[in-house]
Amino acid sequence: MTIITATDLSKRFKRARKDPGFKGALKHLVKPVFKEFTAVDSVDFSIEEGESVAYVGPNGAGKSTTVKLLTGILVPTSGEVTVCGIHPFENRQENARNIGVVFGQRTQLWWDIPVIESLRMLGDIYSVPTDQFKRTFDELVDVLELTPLLNVPARQLSLGQRMRCDLAASLMHDPKILYLDEPTIGLDVSVKARFREFIKYMHKERGLTAMLTSHDIGDIQELCPRMIMIDKGQIIYDGAFAEVTRRFGWEQKVLVTLSDDTPAAASAISVSLPAHASAAQDSPTALTVRFDSRLSTSGEIIRDLATSLPIADISIEETSAESIIRNLYEGSLSFSESTNG
Amino acid sequence: MAEQIRLEARPKYVSIALTSFQQAITYRITTLTNIALTFIWVFIIYYLWKAAFNEKQMIQGFTWDDMRTYVVLAYGINALIGWRISSNMMQTIRTGEILRDLTRPLNYCGSQLSIATGWAIVEGIISLILTIIVGMVFIGIQTPASVSAGLLFVLAVVLGFFTKALIVFSVSLLTFWTLNGVGISWSREAVINILSGTIIPLTMLPGWLQAVANVAPMRGIVNTPILLYLGKVEGWEAAKLLGLSAAWLVAMIFFANWAWQTAFNRVEIQGG
Repeated sequence: MTIITATDLSKRFKRARKDPGFKGALKHLVKPVFKEFTAVDSVDFSIEEGESVAYVGPNGAGKSTTVKLLTGILVPTSGEVTVCGIHPFENRQENARNIGVVFGQRTQLWWDIPVIESLRMLGDIYSVPTDQFKRTFDELVDVLELTPLLNVPARQLSLGQRMRCDLAASLMHDPKILYLDEPTIGLDVSVKARFREFIKYMHKERGLTAMLTSHDIGDIQELCPRMIMIDKGQIIYDGAFAEVTRRFGWEQKVLVTLSDDTPAAASAISVSLPAHASAAQDSPTALTVRFDSRLSTSGEIIRDLATSLPIADISIEETSAESIIRNLYEGSLSFSESTNG
Repeated sequence: MAEQIRLEARPKYVSIALTSFQQAITYRITTLTNIALTFIWVFIIYYLWKAAFNEKQMIQGFTWDDMRTYVVLAYGINALIGWRISSNMMQTIRTGEILRDLTRPLNYCGSQLSIATGWAIVEGIISLILTIIVGMVFIGIQTPASVSAGLLFVLAVVLGFFTKALIVFSVSLLTFWTLNGVGISWSREAVINILSGTIIPLTMLPGWLQAVANVAPMRGIVNTPILLYLGKVEGWEAAKLLGLSAAWLVAMIFFANWAWQTAFNRVEIQGG
C-alpha cells in the first residue's frame, strides 16, 4: 500500500534581494526587491508502507523543505502531497497523529524536566489510551534501555542519551511513519550502531515506514534499501541504493600531478588513452583521468600516462559508495549520462 | 523505575500546562527575583502618590486608601505574565523550535496559552505572596470591598490573564517577520501598561486617551479587576465591565488564531 505520494510537488520561496552596503540596505527599506527561489522543483515519488527510504542530497538541495511539506509545516506552491491518504497542510493535526519526527540537531524533550515527564505529556498530547501507552512505554524503555535516564532532565543528558530519549519521544503514539532528519549527527560509532539496530527493530516489529535524511553513508547503507537523491530541488536518482554502487562502482579515477606546467595535457593525452577513459585538466599541473575498471587496469592507464607526460605524483581514488555520492553531489557524475553500467 | 510513570491520561492542554508548571518551578529563584524587582516599582509609585495625596483627600474619585491598594494590586496582577512568557514565545519562532509544536496534533495558540498558564501558576503564587507581604505589612492595603467583590475580582483576573496572554501571543507573531523581539516587547509593554491602567488609573488619563482605554481590551487586564476589588463598580456596571472583558477575550481568541494562520501561511520556518 502506498503511504506517501508526492505529485509534481513544488515549493517556491520569496527571498529579499539586498544590494551590499548601507545604500543597499536603504534601497531595500524603500523599495524591497524579491527574488523567487525554488527549493523543491516538480518532485514526484511514492513510498510504500513499511519501506525505509534514504532522502539524500547536498546541503540546501531541498531535503528539509520536502520533509516540511510532508509534515504539513509548509504549504506546497503547486502540486500535491498525500500522506496516509490526507493532505498534510490542510490537516496538519490529523497528519501529526500518523507521523513521528526526529531532528538530530534539536530535541523535542522539555529541557528542564525529567525525561519521563516529557514522555508522559506526549502520551497525553496524542490522547494515547492508557493500556496502549503502558505497552509502548515499557517496550521503548526496554529496547532503548532508558530506565537510568528517565528521571534525568534533558539538559543533563549526553548527545547519545538524548537521541535515545528523542527516539522514544517520537514513537510514544505509535506512528506509522517516522521522519529522521540527520539523526546520527555528532553521535559516536557505538551509539550510531545502536541507533541503526533500533530502527531495524522497529521496522521488523511494527512495520514502521522510515524516511531518513542523512549525510552518513553508513546510515543509508545499513537502513535503507532505497535511496532518493535530490539536488537543486529536483530528484536526480530514485532507486535501489545497491544499484548506485553497481552502476558507478566500475569507474575509477587516477589523479595526476605534473612536474611542469602542461596546459594542454588533457587533450594531448586523450589520443593515447583507450576510448572508455577521459581526461580532464584541473589546473596546468593537475589532471584527473576517469576510466572503466572493467576494461582497463589502473596499471595500463598509468603506463599510458607515464610515457607521454612529466608525472610528479599519482594517486588512485577508491570507488566507495561514499565517493560515488560525493561525486554526485559535486556534479562530476550524472545518472543520465551513465547508462552503460 | 519505569513503573513510576503516571498511567491515567490527562487532557492534552492540561498536561502541557502542568509540565510547564514543573519547568517554571525549576526557575523559581529567577522568577522570585524578577517579581521582587517589579515590586521596587510599587514603592516608587507608592511614594509619588503619597506626595500627591498630601495636598488632597481625593483625586479623581480615589482616596489614599484606594490608591495604595490600587498600586500594589496593579503590579501584582501585571506580574502574572512576565517577560519570560513573551520571550519564550518569540524564541520558539526565532530559533525554529516551533517545529516541535507544529509536528504535533496541537493548536499552536492553545499550546502557547497552556505553557503561559503553567508559568503563571508559579508566578501567580509568588506574586500573591509578595502582594500580601508588601501590601499588608508595609503599605497596608484594603481587603476586598465585599465577598462578592472578591469573587468578581478573581473572575476578572482570570479573564484579564488570558486576554493579556493572547495579546502577547499575537504580538509575538511579528517575530516571524522581524526575527528580533526586543523592540516589539518594549512597545507592547508600554502600550499595555498605559491602557490597562497599570501606571495610573484610567480616570486620570487625558480625555481622548481615556475614551480609547475605556473600551480597549487592555482595560480588562488590570483596571477592571481592581475596580471590582475596591467596590468602585457594582451591580449592572460591574456586569457590563465583566461582559466587556469576556467579549474581548472571545474576540482575541479569534484574532490570535487568525493572526497565527496568516503568519503561518506566509512565512517560512527558520532553520533546516
